[in-house]
Amino acid sequence: MIELSIRDGRRKMVNYFSLAVLCALAFAAIAPLFFIFAYLLLRGWGGLSWSFFTEIPRPVGESGGGMANAITGSLVLMGLSSALGVPLGLACGMALSELKKTRTAKALRIAIDLLTSVPSIVIGLFAYALVVVPLKGYSAWAGGFALAIVMVPIVARSTEEILKLVPSAVHEAGLALGLPRWKVLMRLILPGVRTGITTGILLALARVSGETAPLLFTAFSNSFGFRGLSSPIASMPVQIYTYATSHDETWRQLAWTGALVLVFVVFLLNLVTRILTRRKI
Amino acid sequence: MEPTLESPVSPKLSVSDGSALETKRLSAWFGDHHVVKDISLVVQKNDVFSLIGPSGCGKSTFIRCLNRLHEETDGASVSGEVLIPGAGRRDNIYASGVDPVSIRRRVGMVFQKPNPFPGLSIFDNVAAGLRLAGVMRRNILDEVVEMSLIQAALWTEVKDKLKKPGTSLSGGQQQRLCIARALAVKPQILLMDEPTSALDPISTARIEELVMKLRNDVTVLIVTHNMQQAARISNQTAFFLMGELVEVGPTKSIFTKPKDTRTEQYITGRFG
Repeated sequence: MIELSIRDGRRKMVNYFSLAVLCALAFAAIAPLFFIFAYLLLRGWGGLSWSFFTEIPRPVGESGGGMANAITGSLVLMGLSSALGVPLGLACGMALSELKKTRTAKALRIAIDLLTSVPSIVIGLFAYALVVVPLKGYSAWAGGFALAIVMVPIVARSTEEILKLVPSAVHEAGLALGLPRWKVLMRLILPGVRTGITTGILLALARVSGETAPLLFTAFSNSFGFRGLSSPIASMPVQIYTYATSHDETWRQLAWTGALVLVFVVFLLNLVTRILTRRKI
Repeated sequence: MEPTLESPVSPKLSVSDGSALETKRLSAWFGDHHVVKDISLVVQKNDVFSLIGPSGCGKSTFIRCLNRLHEETDGASVSGEVLIPGAGRRDNIYASGVDPVSIRRRVGMVFQKPNPFPGLSIFDNVAAGLRLAGVMRRNILDEVVEMSLIQAALWTEVKDKLKKPGTSLSGGQQQRLCIARALAVKPQILLMDEPTSALDPISTARIEELVMKLRNDVTVLIVTHNMQQAARISNQTAFFLMGELVEVGPTKSIFTKPKDTRTEQYITGRFG
């Protein structure tokens, strides 16, 4: 009996100790997130003002100015990339779920996974060769195209996963009504999973809103505000990159505030997807 | 020979008068696994025809061949003929060039578990078949939805909440919703694959009552594990065992004086 209880105490000790170690490691893993957020607040908060959102940057040396050009630019780029990337991604996802385990589906799945892991700078190069070179110049089109390529695999895989959750009995119920497969999918299955699909799209948007590399030599940048889709266009990440590496104190402050705003937007997008997924699919 | 007025040569109809459905040497496979073996039987118009037999005897697969749903499964295959009057191509639904989609408009199906379309309202669930076939007139849709829900004995319970999601109903109500949905496209034949196995006794009784009324409008084939159910609601019964049709006949004689000893053993509960 006594021996047993001693062993019991030891077991509990080991248990508490391991738990403490795991908690410490888990905290270490997420600590950078808090540091980043805290530091951004510290450095960026001071620069937050109405003019940050409404004014375009001023020349080097002048104080004041904002990132209105980058904010509208980012919105335009996200709109363009969604217009191309969302339909393509949805189509891929639906094809994957329809083709199930066929060879085509397996090949498509591997291709999509590969696309996910292609470094984004390479995607930028691809868009450069395919859009910038033929159009003879940087443009919003090129940036939107590059970001769309980043979006496609994310939307495709999330759409496939959501469609997999729909019981095959629902599919069969549609077929048994004498409806062709595509109508069953488009009109009866999709409406039921629209929340889940929206979630995937928002996650993809959150991802591309922070992408910098694919934009460096596609959308490039511009300091004057929106000049049409065929002209270079500014974006938050690229603007932050440029200003953060400059020597002008006002610009560096803009970069800090821009980073804070960008992180906040991404955080907000993630929060919305959380809330959407918590409601049942 | 020239056809004369006295004996006009009409295309030979393969389906005999009065029958709703006939299978000729129907076989079905999952890959190499032969699950339905050479079944030939006739179902008369307005029959309630029950299929009984132990689990895995092929009765569900058999009825899934009758609306060409079996072939939607990976690796599934079918041989033989299924004759349904009016199905075209001299009425064999497996004749080449027959579109399975058109067959499924004639042969409706109700599944084991209630499966309303998620995210669609009660009204939209029932209207789905018509609407997606191109019927857009609101007054026609209203009328058909009401008729179908009345036929499925669900109207009084849902008439004030047609815009609520179909999935908000109870299990038994959902199953009646699925029946209404199948009836809305006016099928000649209604296949029911163990429609009450997921339901409580009261919901089961309501569906049985409903099936007995439906026989005036549609021919019903029902797979059931519950022999009392087969005895209560059907006028013809077929007993399946290991993919083969052991015995078929009027329900009464199957249950009171079966010809085959295996049928007798099964209905007296000695196996299965």
